[in-house]
Amino acid sequence: MLPRCLRALGNPLSIRFQENGILGMIANRHLQFVGINYFSSARTSGTPQGLSLEKCSDKKDTLYKSVEIEIRSGEPAVLLSYEWFTSYAAKQLGITIGKCWAPPKAHHNRLTLLKSIHIYKKHRVQYEIRTYFRHMTYERLTESTLKTFLEYIQRNVPEGVAVKVTKKSVLNLPPSLNDSVRRLSLQ
Amino acid sequence: MRPCDLRGTSVLLSVSVLFVQRAKRVCDDFRALDLRPSKSNNMRGNRRKTAYKKTPVHPPRSNKMPVDQDWPSVWPVARVFHPASVPLPLHQGWVEPGITPPGKFANAELMKIPNFLHLTPPAIQRQCEALKKFCTEWPKELDTDEKIDHHFPLQITTSDYLHSSPTIRDARARIVTLQVKLSTLNLNSHAKDKLLRLVKERYDPVTDILTLVAERCPLRKQNIDYAMYLLNVLVSESWKTEPWENEKSEADMEKYVWEGSQSQRTLQQLLERMPNKAPDLPEVIKQYSVNVTRFHNEGEDTENVNAYKESVIKLLGLNA
Repeated sequence: MLPRCLRALGNPLSIRFQENGILGMIANRHLQFVGINYFSSARTSGTPQGLSLEKCSDKKDTLYKSVEIEIRSGEPAVLLSYEWFTSYAAKQLGITIGKCWAPPKAHHNRLTLLKSIHIYKKHRVQYEIRTYFRHMTYERLTESTLKTFLEYIQRNVPEGVAVKVTKKSVLNLPPSLNDSVRRLSLQ
Repeated sequence: MRPCDLRGTSVLLSVSVLFVQRAKRVCDDFRALDLRPSKSNNMRGNRRKTAYKKTPVHPPRSNKMPVDQDWPSVWPVARVFHPASVPLPLHQGWVEPGITPPGKFANAELMKIPNFLHLTPPAIQRQCEALKKFCTEWPKELDTDEKIDHHFPLQITTSDYLHSSPTIRDARARIVTLQVKLSTLNLNSHAKDKLLRLVKERYDPVTDILTLVAERCPLRKQNIDYAMYLLNVLVSESWKTEPWENEKSEADMEKYVWEGSQSQRTLQQLLERMPNKAPDLPEVIKQYSVNVTRFHNEGEDTENVNAYKESVIKLLGLNA
């Protein structure tokens, strides 16, 4: 999930992705082809199947009911700013924002060690590491929107922040399920 | 004396104040080129601690920044806080109450904390405009959760982890959770019973959701395939009837069934011996059987107990 090349951040107006990169379904060549020809002409803002990129890759987008992003860090102010940024970006991209919340207390990892190297058992020193958490939920995304959004979010993760992304995708039941039922009922 | 010569003199003033004043007085386009610096007089009368030569520094760039400049061009990527490039009077640091916190120049706290100056609203808007062509719209027909669940009953949950580490991989990313509502599988009673026995605690009767967690394979794709295979196998096995399933005895029953139970047999014997039977006997027996079944299946509840009591009274013809 870490960016393999950081060149994309050089120019904010044009973002390029490596060929065998994170957006695997869009090949680099197709990207440039689409960028030149289709972007200039007037196009409808998003059919359910998306752009003609779908015709290029010939695959339907899976749908994601929700994406929950959990961030953790030692600095609660940084988490707040990052949450503001992700929500703003989601609004710009037209993504429904779900529940964004933070547990009221941090997780304290405490160590009680002896203060002196030799004897003096009654005198100790205590250290603690505080980890603050935050959860953001975004709902109803298609696969390409999800991948684009997550890539953008993850490229701009600040220092000292860890991210966990939980994605819930919704699918049809496998066709083989009903086939086996039919086969067995015929026996 | 040329105004630029003032820079060479060392004065005991605070640096930031000095810069602000100098910017107004001094020609700030170019630094003065000093090929032969004048020798300082360090003889006995003028002797004091050697004043260190201060390298002439430009006034901060923020003094010349227009208010309507393009900020994303000034700060395009994430970088360490640079006080001379930021035209804001920032203060950071804990001090005793009543004292002004330290300013932005040479402030380690401001430099340590990650700043979001590269992600101002205009910058985000520009970047999102460029990204919009990679996004697809959510289908407008699926606007409620019920519709989504109706059309797409299977839900697969996966997790990705991003943290600074020597390695890009996280072993927990292979875990896949598959959830499906049993009502969407269209099972008959025998198939459902067999499936529940196979699946045991993975089924939640409150929400009617079967949860399969697959983590035995090293890759996520393999775990997804395994989970789907598992679902297929469970359903196909539950539809099959093995010959040994006929040996299911009363002790194996998952719920109480009136027909063929000890209670029914006892009631038959009782009715044979009873002299005056109730007039509407079949209905009374049926009500009794329903109440006994509810009593066994749903547990002891005040209304269940009362219903059972009513049915027994009617059965035995007691009108008390």
